Amino acid sequence: MQFLYTAWPVKHKPTSTAEIVGNPSAIKTLRDWLQSWNKGVPKKRAACLYGPPGIGKTVTVEALAHELHMELVEKNASDYRTEDAINRFAGLASQYGSLFDVKRIVLLDELDGLMGNADKGGVKAITNIVKTARCPVVLIANNAYDPRFRTLRSYCVLIEFKKPSASAVLKNLQRISEREGIQPDENVLKFLAQRAEGDVRSAVNDFQALAQGKKRLTYEDVSWLAHRDRQDSIFNVIKLIIYGRTSLGAKQALDMADVDIDMLFEWIYENVPAHFTDPHDLAQAMDALAMADVYRGRIRASQDWSFLRYVIDYMTAGVAMARQNSKVSGWVPFKFPSRIIMLSRSKAERAMRKNIGLKIRRKCHISVTRASKEVLPYLRIIFKNNAPMAAGIAKWLDLDSEMVEYIVGSKAKTGAITAFLS
Amino acid sequence: MSFEMWAEKYRPKQLNDMVDQKTIVERLKSFAKSKNVPHCIFAGPPGTGKTTAALCLARDLYGESYREHLMELNASDERGINVVRETVKTFARSRSIGEIPFKILILDEADNMTSDAQQALRRTMERYTETCRFIMCANYSGKIIEPIQSRCAPFRFSFLPREEHDTYIKHIAERENIQLLADGLEAIFEVCGGDLRRAINTLQAAASMNKPVDSLLVYSVTGKASPSDVHKMLTTAISGDFLGARKRLRDMIQKYGVAGVDIIRQIHKEIFKADIPEPWKIKLAAITGEIDYRLVEGADEEVQLSALLARLVEAGSEIKKGD
Repeated sequence: MQFLYTAWPVKHKPTSTAEIVGNPSAIKTLRDWLQSWNKGVPKKRAACLYGPPGIGKTVTVEALAHELHMELVEKNASDYRTEDAINRFAGLASQYGSLFDVKRIVLLDELDGLMGNADKGGVKAITNIVKTARCPVVLIANNAYDPRFRTLRSYCVLIEFKKPSASAVLKNLQRISEREGIQPDENVLKFLAQRAEGDVRSAVNDFQALAQGKKRLTYEDVSWLAHRDRQDSIFNVIKLIIYGRTSLGAKQALDMADVDIDMLFEWIYENVPAHFTDPHDLAQAMDALAMADVYRGRIRASQDWSFLRYVIDYMTAGVAMARQNSKVSGWVPFKFPSRIIMLSRSKAERAMRKNIGLKIRRKCHISVTRASKEVLPYLRIIFKNNAPMAAGIAKWLDLDSEMVEYIVGSKAKTGAITAFLS
Repeated sequence: MSFEMWAEKYRPKQLNDMVDQKTIVERLKSFAKSKNVPHCIFAGPPGTGKTTAALCLARDLYGESYREHLMELNASDERGINVVRETVKTFARSRSIGEIPFKILILDEADNMTSDAQQALRRTMERYTETCRFIMCANYSGKIIEPIQSRCAPFRFSFLPREEHDTYIKHIAERENIQLLADGLEAIFEVCGGDLRRAINTLQAAASMNKPVDSLLVYSVTGKASPSDVHKMLTTAISGDFLGARKRLRDMIQKYGVAGVDIIRQIHKEIFKADIPEPWKIKLAAITGEIDYRLVEGADEEVQLSALLARLVEAGSEIKKGD
């Protein structure tokens, strides 16, 4: 039964490069470089793959080794830390690689893990290995431009891995859900893919956490999720702010927060009402949030970020100090900001409104925002009540039938309007 | 009845067609006559003819080919500094062909520009004065930085007075063969408060129902145009259900795209009718005013308005205590 509990990122790890999400040109560059070893030792004996975590750097090397029938000798920073250790393993591997019939790739993962004085000499040792390597050495780092790697970098073919798009991550999730026999609602995978912000591994982890053992997955099942790895810490931060007893304590909670200020603001804004039971306290807390928002506006207008301290004061200490009579509300769980979920849901709708707004702007000399707020509502009334006039306006504004349907809100009426158009 | 947007169809084409803002129009006419235009700021509330005046001036200056000498930018769509650096500069520095040596750049909703972008603009205005004149349209000239203001001739537009508003609307109703009743006209003015674009849109939406336009029809149109059941939202809050009220607010803003200023205008009307302790009414009106101002400054509509809702919850709880 242990198979059941295999982590999905491992269980569904791509076995061929075709299954890897995104970065096709990076993969091709690496493949070409590996194959160039067949014609002799190339000028640069190491390739350095770099980019944010969870986007398939290691998986790419593994898949390519498999496809090119090469043996992979893999170590990561937790295994090698000092010069000696590196020489013991990597030195051997690279020096004698070509003696064997099977060609070999030496992979040194998580280069960023080599840190400070404790690992002194580590980078130097790797550089030496790279200079004399007789088989391809692949290095993986999140940040190849760290000054520590300056010399090492010059001996490497640098290959950047970028965050794959949400739609690419989505494809990967679809592949897994088919293999697991899960039927998710339409928006579920999309939501997970978008939330992952390109981190494929975290998307798969989330998917497993939510879906394992289920056959169906609804939007409600997933919508409560917070951003990756941040769920626990954000709960603590919110608690320290909403139930803070001193101004300083509430302010300091911010240091623990792993999310940006705007996101934290949304968390507080979402959760304040349920935890301030006394109406006066609630009003004071909401006032504090409104003031924080005023200062956000001032930062936007002046681009002077020094005002940020007042945003922080109001949203932390301001909220905490609003508590006079409210009791601790039993056990009310903190919730993911519903406003953000709603925003991502109505994204398509907003895109539509914007496109119509652009059409209106071309003709009516007003901004897109004002067009959708001030003109669109009237168009809606006209389109619902007067098909010939609607047709005339649609033609004049150059609206397509999808836009007409959005405005009028029904297929039948769209038909009536388009009938006048032809 | 014609089948296009009447607000555009009846937009005056030349300064001579503009019946309102008389003193401003006279000065603009003298610019057109002398074929010289300074940098200008047109400040005033929406729907009072700022953009129209700018377009008319351009047409009077350049004739029918005015489009070739004109660029319209909307700062609330393109408010970043890059637009100033690139789009504006490219347009401003190239020489105009023809009798008049300068072009005109209309910068609409200029008060929505960041102050950085405004600073960048100030340099551009100075350097390319010979080849380009700027007309900045804004609701509030105070939000335009001092150095730009000092380089511009200011023009203050105001809401149309009742008679001029009526002349315009009646004229359109006549041309479109609509039966516009006196109370319908009255209602349009009451609802739109002299914002002519809104008034014309309201008239057209009402006329699209193919009925005589009376006050009932006008109110039903404006009710639909802003499907903001503000009344229900307020009673929900007063009854103590803050989350329910906030949900209604969120729907209005996000689902129906109702403008925060419209919601607040309606809230203001409702407050004095609401079932709350008398001393609270003026207190809430004061908060409403403060929030109204913040929205103008560009604050988050939902956050600000829900602070007001929380105060209503508080006011409601006072009544319960009194019972």
